Amino acid sequence: MEFTPENKKKIEEILKRYPEGKVGRQAALLPVLRLAQEQFGYLSEEAMLTVAQVLDLSPASIYGVATFYTLFNKKPVGKYHLQVCANLSCCMEGAEKVVKHLEEKLGIVPGETTADNRFTLSEVECLAACGTGPVIQVNENYHEKIKTPEDVDRLLEKLR
Amino acid sequence: MDRVLTANFDHPDVDKLPVYEGRGGYRSLKKVFSLKPEQVIEEVKSSGLRGRGGAGFGTGMKWGFVPQNSGKPIYLCVNADEGEPGTFKDRELLLRDPHRLIEGVIIASYAIRCHTAYLYLRGEFFEPYQKLEAAIREAYTKGYLGKNILGTGYDLDLHIHRGAGGYICGEETALIESLEGKRGYPRLKPPFPAVQGLFGCPTVVNNVETLSALPYILEKGAASYKKMGTEKSPGTKLFSISGPVQKPGVYEIELGYPLRKFIHEDAGGMLPGKILKAVIPGGSSVPILDASEVEQVNLDYESMNQFGTFLGSGGVIVIDEDFCLVKALKVLAKFYAHESCGQCSPCREGTGWVHKIMTRMEAGKGTPADLDLLLNLADNMTGQTICVLADSIAMPTRSYIKKFRQEFEDHVALQKCSKM
Amino acid sequence: MPKVTIDEKVVDVPEGTNLIEAARLGGIEVPHYCYHPKLSVAGNCRMCLVEIEKQPKLQIACNTKVAEGMVVKTQNPRVEKARRSVLEFILINHPIDCPICDQAGECKLQEYYMKHDLAVSRFPIEEKVHKDKAVDLGPWVMLDMERCILCTRCVRFCQEVAEVNELCVSERGDHSTLTTFPGAKLENPYSANVVEICPVGALTNKDFRFKCRVWFLKRTESVCPGCSMGCNINIDQNEGEIHRLTPRVNEEVNEHWMCDEGRLTYKPVNQKNRLRFAKMGEKDLHPDEVLRAVREMMTGVDPNLVCGIGSAQFTNEDNYALASFLKELGSSHLFYHRFEPAHPSVDDYLIKADKNPNTKGVSTLGFKEIGGDRRFKFFFVLGALPEEALNRIALEQQKKVILFNPWDEETVHYADTLLPVGTFAETEGTFTNCQGRVQRIRAAFPPPGEGRPVWQWLTHLTRLFEKPAPNYTTAPALFLSMANQIAAFRGLDYEKIGNQGMLLKG
Repeated sequence: MEFTPENKKKIEEILKRYPEGKVGRQAALLPVLRLAQEQFGYLSEEAMLTVAQVLDLSPASIYGVATFYTLFNKKPVGKYHLQVCANLSCCMEGAEKVVKHLEEKLGIVPGETTADNRFTLSEVECLAACGTGPVIQVNENYHEKIKTPEDVDRLLEKLR
Repeated sequence: MDRVLTANFDHPDVDKLPVYEGRGGYRSLKKVFSLKPEQVIEEVKSSGLRGRGGAGFGTGMKWGFVPQNSGKPIYLCVNADEGEPGTFKDRELLLRDPHRLIEGVIIASYAIRCHTAYLYLRGEFFEPYQKLEAAIREAYTKGYLGKNILGTGYDLDLHIHRGAGGYICGEETALIESLEGKRGYPRLKPPFPAVQGLFGCPTVVNNVETLSALPYILEKGAASYKKMGTEKSPGTKLFSISGPVQKPGVYEIELGYPLRKFIHEDAGGMLPGKILKAVIPGGSSVPILDASEVEQVNLDYESMNQFGTFLGSGGVIVIDEDFCLVKALKVLAKFYAHESCGQCSPCREGTGWVHKIMTRMEAGKGTPADLDLLLNLADNMTGQTICVLADSIAMPTRSYIKKFRQEFEDHVALQKCSKM
Repeated sequence: MPKVTIDEKVVDVPEGTNLIEAARLGGIEVPHYCYHPKLSVAGNCRMCLVEIEKQPKLQIACNTKVAEGMVVKTQNPRVEKARRSVLEFILINHPIDCPICDQAGECKLQEYYMKHDLAVSRFPIEEKVHKDKAVDLGPWVMLDMERCILCTRCVRFCQEVAEVNELCVSERGDHSTLTTFPGAKLENPYSANVVEICPVGALTNKDFRFKCRVWFLKRTESVCPGCSMGCNINIDQNEGEIHRLTPRVNEEVNEHWMCDEGRLTYKPVNQKNRLRFAKMGEKDLHPDEVLRAVREMMTGVDPNLVCGIGSAQFTNEDNYALASFLKELGSSHLFYHRFEPAHPSVDDYLIKADKNPNTKGVSTLGFKEIGGDRRFKFFFVLGALPEEALNRIALEQQKKVILFNPWDEETVHYADTLLPVGTFAETEGTFTNCQGRVQRIRAAFPPPGEGRPVWQWLTHLTRLFEKPAPNYTTAPALFLSMANQIAAFRGLDYEKIGNQGMLLKG
């Protein structure tokens, strides 16, 4: 497993933002893991070892970091990662019903991926858009005020 | 009231540099660079600006702790890791007026003699990331960032460092650890970041909103800023309001403004048929206010303290009579258990324990003894740990049960919620 | 030096001392899990919370440095309540499987629970977080993830002492788990030290697991014979069987640690092929008979044909006794041999390439390395000679070897006479390490069978030669006699050497 030449260049750019030496290579870890996830789809053990090699950091320390942060996927996710905020404000707006409807529509529960690898469903914590809940983050993008089953259906339709 | 933070919110293209400049943007820098860094610190001190991330510590004072003789580089970290449930003000600032933040970063950096600033941006914030990236690029092109800014000889680089999902990274020392590429573990204090922060160097961590207030303060002067708000809580603040109100959203309010008025006038009052039961005034971590307290309290640090709670991040969550507080507490307990970094035993184990009890109780399997157990656990989790995450579930737990004990007892006795 | 008052007791401690150490100096134990004097401060267990006058919140003692006039309370009701609650939190997800846990008896969870808590659990067993048990971390260490209290001592040890980041904490909250990178091993040369610093039963020694309950172990202070570093150790044994060696603190030598290789040095002691009886040829004989035969064999021999071959594996005392005996016979031909593996492990910390505990000592006593001198006919030898040494002395049928050895090995069949002696674990004496530090080893138990110290055999033999027998009848007396004769040891005795050793002059 190797980074593409383009990503290797990006890593060089990333490293320039931080001091030289070990502290700088360690500081580059989050952005480089993100890059790895973008290129390899998720952070497999192999992907983490590739990062360890590129940044000359110990695999164990990378594993500790990768498993600490929720945005790093340690297993494959579907084409669309539906991340439903289930925190208080969204909950008051009916997030539980949204999750339930998604479960029924997709035939999966949070943490699972549909058999066609199209959707992964996750319940996530506050996305800082509490005034427009319930919020669903699909991959990088926020979809706000998804209140009713119809709103959910419309969103899924857009993603089909 | 002058709009310190939201003056550009009605101008959709203000994230473009020329539009921002056209609205008076970056004008404060001329004055800033004519002052000595110490004078900038003095100006901010005398404005009485307090950190808007939640703790409310004096911004000028925080800057003043940075030693200027350490021989090490000095860093500024922008805390854009907004994630306190109920709080969504920084995201608005990032999306709607990114240049104001950059201008604030330049002012703060100049004041503390920093030449490299990092903007720690919440990993989930993609749209704000794009806006900020573009704005920073523009600022470099126009010479507001980079070498020899505006011909003054002052250099400043600003880099975005994207987080990767973790509420705790909003705690300033966890943020520093995360920036250093480690697990987001809050650090022991002392040493404080001002002395030994990022990469072991003197560091200031300031919230987005705090920094965004600086252009106004430096341009209009501390006196104008101080004219607003109360004596001890001067200026304006952003409040984000959510829950069953007519107009949820982000509002800039003069500190000292009555909470009742904010809810019933600015936010348009409750939705039809909804009766206000309680309000969490400063983000999910702070003690809850009941309806009668809501009538009396003002939106400033001191008034909130009088009612045993905190202004916090200004995330106002309104809860109505139909919403079950057992469920509310369960949702928050789940959140804090999920977000505990796992370092300190009382937090790692305590948050999980509270979550388990609340899950059981919400499902109708609670016992009367659980309520006192929860109160006892809340006590045992308070003030025992490196950071305040454990306190942040202990405070809601204690206040919800103490102020709404009957509702909890009914839920236990009925073995289900009477509301849903 | 700042004066601090801890529990009403005034203690004078050096600047920069933390409150755990300051209290220790005052004879007060502040309970703790994550703090370790040789590792960075993590401050995560929260067990060492104490009250400091004028500070509203309780503070962790490990991260608080003493200040002049500080008044500290480590055992008032407020502190005790906090301590109990911390302990409760630490225990809720603990499996409480003490009956099958090797740590039982030396577990800080058990200890503090008995001392500070004794409360009934308020946490339902079925709600405990489950994690993997019996995880094979590497050649030495087994991990029980459920028993781990996440103090991170082991993680910090790997980072800061072994300087290999092999361990990390993964996940977060109450799912935090101690682990290696998936599929990777904890295999640095110091890996087993994490077992001793683990305050609970999470990390156990694969070599020791399920062998013996710790309360049956008897402990003897000793020195590792594995190399010339001479790491200070404890021999833990039960009824003459050694179950483990553990590092013993000596800040000047091994600090708190020892290497994994050194931990194996007890294995030959327990081996079945120990030499139990004195032997001539294939026959076991009564010791007196053997000694008389040696006496006879030596009658009328030219002293210049006799030499003594000491050993860097044997104590100063054994080598000195050999030298004295040779002197009585009129020979001054003293050589020594040492164990030289083809590819010795080595690093810049505790692992020395010289795999002998007493090279420095034996040369201080005037022994020379074996040269090419082929004229000798009679050899008094300490320990089995390596092949190479045998070639050098040109051993053949007519030459006679009297060998003092702990083992009855195939390789010693060249010896005409075999006299059983103790291993390091059965011997009282001293080694001189590579720093020139004389350190004591002690007999954990007597050698098997007729085994006895080298000097006892030689004293007996001297008498048979009708020479004046040495005036010592114990190892300490032997050492005094040596200290009188050998300049480097002058003025030293066992008491002065104590359990931390003494640096030789020069």
